[in-house]
Amino acid sequence: MSLSPTIELRTEDYPLSVNRPDLLATPTGKPITALTMEAVVSGELSPDDLRIAPETLLLQAQLAEAAGRPQLAANFRRAAEMTAIPDAEVLAMYNALRPRKSSGPQLAELADRLENAYSAPECAALVREAAEVYARRNLLARPPAADHSATDA
Amino acid sequence: MRGDADAMTTTQPRRSRRTEILENRPVNLDGFVEEWPEKGLVAMDSDYDPAPSVRVENGRIVELDGTTRDQFDFMDTFIADHAIDVASAERANAIPSEEIARMLIDTHVSRNEVLAVTRGLTPAKILDVVELMNVVEIMQGMQKMRARRTPANQGHSTSARDNPIQVAADAAEGAMRGFAELETTLGVVRYAPLVAIALQVGAQVGRGGVLTQCALEEATELELGMRGITAYAETISVYGTEPVFVDGDDTPWSKAFLASAYASRGIKMRFTSGTGSEVQMGNAEGKSMLYLEIRCILMAKGAGVQGLQNGSISCIGVPGAVPGGIRAVAAENLVASMVDLECASGNDQSFSHSAMRRTARLMPQLLPGTDFVCSGYSGVPNADNMFAGSNFDTEDYDDWNTIQRDLQVDGGLRHVREAEILQVRNKAARALQALFSHLDLPPITDEEVEAATYADSSNDYPLRDVLADLKGAQAVMDRGITGLDLVRGLEATGFHDVAENLLAVLRQRVSGDLLQTSAVLTAELTPLSAINDPNDYQGPGTGYRLQGERWEQLKKLRHVTSATDPETEVG
Amino acid sequence: MGTPTTSPAPERTVRLRELGPARRGSRPDEVVIAVSPAFADFFTKTIVDVPHAEVLRQLLAGIEEQGVTARIVRVRDTADLAAIAHTAAQLSGSGIAVGVLARGTTMIHQKDLPRLSNLELFPQSPLLDAQVFRRIGSNAAQYAKGESPEPVPTRNDQMARPRWQAKAALLHLKEVECIEAGRDPVEVEPAFELSRAG
Repeated sequence: MSLSPTIELRTEDYPLSVNRPDLLATPTGKPITALTMEAVVSGELSPDDLRIAPETLLLQAQLAEAAGRPQLAANFRRAAEMTAIPDAEVLAMYNALRPRKSSGPQLAELADRLENAYSAPECAALVREAAEVYARRNLLARPPAADHSATDA
Repeated sequence: MRGDADAMTTTQPRRSRRTEILENRPVNLDGFVEEWPEKGLVAMDSDYDPAPSVRVENGRIVELDGTTRDQFDFMDTFIADHAIDVASAERANAIPSEEIARMLIDTHVSRNEVLAVTRGLTPAKILDVVELMNVVEIMQGMQKMRARRTPANQGHSTSARDNPIQVAADAAEGAMRGFAELETTLGVVRYAPLVAIALQVGAQVGRGGVLTQCALEEATELELGMRGITAYAETISVYGTEPVFVDGDDTPWSKAFLASAYASRGIKMRFTSGTGSEVQMGNAEGKSMLYLEIRCILMAKGAGVQGLQNGSISCIGVPGAVPGGIRAVAAENLVASMVDLECASGNDQSFSHSAMRRTARLMPQLLPGTDFVCSGYSGVPNADNMFAGSNFDTEDYDDWNTIQRDLQVDGGLRHVREAEILQVRNKAARALQALFSHLDLPPITDEEVEAATYADSSNDYPLRDVLADLKGAQAVMDRGITGLDLVRGLEATGFHDVAENLLAVLRQRVSGDLLQTSAVLTAELTPLSAINDPNDYQGPGTGYRLQGERWEQLKKLRHVTSATDPETEVG
Repeated sequence: MGTPTTSPAPERTVRLRELGPARRGSRPDEVVIAVSPAFADFFTKTIVDVPHAEVLRQLLAGIEEQGVTARIVRVRDTADLAAIAHTAAQLSGSGIAVGVLARGTTMIHQKDLPRLSNLELFPQSPLLDAQVFRRIGSNAAQYAKGESPEPVPTRNDQMARPRWQAKAALLHLKEVECIEAGRDPVEVEPAFELSRAG
C-alpha cells in the first residue's frame, strides 16, 4: 500500500485515530475517515471495511516499541502477518498448536505454510520454536498404536 | 479447672453467650484451612519456592531460578526466551531485593526507572522482592506501577434466564454508573449471540464507548469479536505449571498464537490467571500460589498480550482460606502492574459471607487504584450473576459510592439519580426491541420494555419463549449478522446516537488504538491508554487525583442534607 | 476438653474388602460404581459429612429400585473423576458407570463417550446429600436400561466457594496422595456396620 516504511512514530502520535487519521486505512483501501454513518446507511461499507490493516498493526507495533514494550510490538508484528489468514484457518492453526494435537512433521508443515503461503516468518518462527519444545517435553501427538488403557486388562 | 471439667461430664458443655453470638457471625460461614507448603497450599513465603538465579551465555538464559536450561519445563523456556530482557537480566537480578522493593515505593524513583529493572527479573526474584512488602507497601507500589493513570472499573451484566432485555437494561444502567467495560456470559451457551447483541446495545445507550465482552469458549468468543458484536476478550486462561497448562489443553505457544489472532482482527484482549488454580487442580509442584502466579504473569508478558485479569479470580476461596492469602492476591496485582501489563484486578467472584471481609479484600485495589478495580462488579443482583456471583453486586452500589466519597478515592462508579436510570433502562429496552424487530429476531413486547425499566432481577420480567430465542440466536450466526448490521438497524429505527456510538467503537478496530496497553474509550469516544495517559505518580500531589468535576460527581449520594436548606436534600 | 456425653446417633460405616482385579462385566443390566483411592479408606465421609456408607447405600438403592444390579470397583491409580468414571464405564456390562470421589463429587459416564465428556456431572460436592445420591443411582440405572431419564437437577450456591473451595482443594490433595500409581482397578465388596461415633 501507500505506507512509507520511513514513517517514524512517536508516542505523541497516539491515538492514531485522533492525531494521525491520515495514516489509517482499511484493508480495502478506504481511509478511516470514510467510515461514516452515511456510508453505513448507503450500504457502501462491508464488514471487510471494519477490519484492521496489516500496515496499521505495524504502526501500532512502532508505538508499542517506542513506549518500551517490545513483546507487545512483536505480538502486533505477528498479528500483521495473520491478517492475511482466513478466520477458520487461524482457528485451525491455533488448535494444531494445542498439546499433543500435532506431530513434529505436522508442525514443520504448518510453519512452512505460514512462511510460504502467507509470508508470515514471525508466526512460522513461533511454531518452529513450539515444535522444538513440544518434542523435548513429550507434547507432540502420540502415535495412535501406543494407547494403553485400563480396558486392556 | 478440674472441678469444672468434671461438672460438665453429665450434660452438653455450656457455651458462653458471647461465643454463641460470634459463632453466628457471617464470617464463620467462610472456610479456612491450615497451610500445607509441601503441596503448594500456601499463599507466599514458602521454603519450597526456588531461590532466584539467572545465568546468560551467548545472549541466551541458560539458568533460571536454580534450573539449568536442559531441565527447563515449558514455562521456564517460554519465560526465559520471551519475557525476561536478556541484556539486563544478570545486572537486574544482582540488585538486592530490598533495594528493588524500596524502589517500588520510593517517590523519587519513577515508574520507568522501576520498569528498567523489573524487565530483567526472574520469577523467584520478583517473589523475593514482593515478599519483603507488607500490604500497605504493596498498595504504594500499585499506586505508582498501575499502567494507566486514570483508574476504571468493569461490570458484569448477565441474567439467570439469559434474558437479553434484562442484559441490555442492566448494561445501560451499569454504563451510566461508570463501568468502562462490561462483560457477560450465559447459562445456556446457545443464547450467546442475542445476549452479546443486547449487551452491546445497552452499553452504547448508557454511555457511548463502553467496551463489551462475552465470555465463551475460544472459538465462539473470537467469532463474536471478529463480527464486531463484542469489542474485547478476557477469558483466555493461563496456568503456572506445565501439567495444569496441558490439562487446560494449551501451551504458552498456543496462547501466544491466539493473542496475535485477536490483535490481527483489531480486538483488544487480555489473559486471565490467578493464585490458587494450580493447587486447586492438585498440581502445584510444591510451589507457593504466588510463585506460580508470577510465572503466569511473566508468560503473559512474554506472549506480548497487553494485559492480564488476575487476583485469584475464580479460585479466590483458596488464597482466601490460608494465612496472608489476601496479601498475596494484592501482590499478584502489583506484579502484573510492575511488569507493565494492564491489570484487571479481581474482586469479581463471591468471596465471603462477611460484608466486612468483602470490603477489606477490596481495599488493596480500590485505595491505590488499578486499571480495572473489579474485573467484574456484578451489575445485576448476584442471583442473576452467571459468573457464579461477584464480590459486589447491585445492592452494594450505594455503599460503594459512599466509600468513594468517604475516602475520596475513585473506584470508577458514581451515584446516578433514579429518573436518569429509568430513562436509560427504558431506552436500552426500546432500542433492543426496535433492533430485534428490524433484524427479524424474536419480538420484544411493550410489557417487557416496561418491566426492564423498573426491574431489579430476572424474576421481574415476563418469561421469554426460549425456543424461539434460541432459533433467533442461531439465525444471527447463520445469517452472518455483524456489528455493521447492528449500526444500520439502530440508525434505521431512529436510535441515531446509539448507532453513532457503536460505529465509533467499530471504527476503533480499524485504528488499532485499543490494542495498546490499558486502553479504554472515554465518553468523548477517544482512546485512553497507558501511552497517552501514562501513570506519572511520584508522590503527594502527583499522579491521578480525585478533584474538580469528577470529585463533584462523587460527592453526590442518594441522601445528602442540603446545607443551604437543611429541610431538603441535594442530589 | 468437655467431651459431649449425650448419645450420638448411630453412624453407618463401610469397609471395602478387595476381591481381586476388576473385570469387564457381561450382564447388560449392571451399573458399575467406581470409587476413588481414598473413598471409605483414608476418608470416611464427604466434604459435608455424608458418611461414605450412606453414599454407597443410596447409590445402590437407587440402582436396585430400577431393577438393575450393581458392582463396586475401586480405581487406584488416579483421583481424576472423569478418568475414574470412564475407566469404570469400560468395565460395565451396560457401559454405564457412576464415579465418585471421596469428597463427594460424582459423575455418570458412558463407555462410548469421550473421556472428558459425561452423561451427568455433579461438580459441587457440598450440595450433594443422600437424596441426590439416590437419584443419581436411579438415573444411572435408567441409562443402563436404555432409557433417557431427566437429569438430576443440579443445585447452585454462590456462597459454596467461600465456604468450601479451599477445603475441597485440601481434600483433593489428600486424595492424590492416596493414589497407587500403576495399579489396576479392583473389585470390592462393601461391609456395612452400624457403629457409635466418637
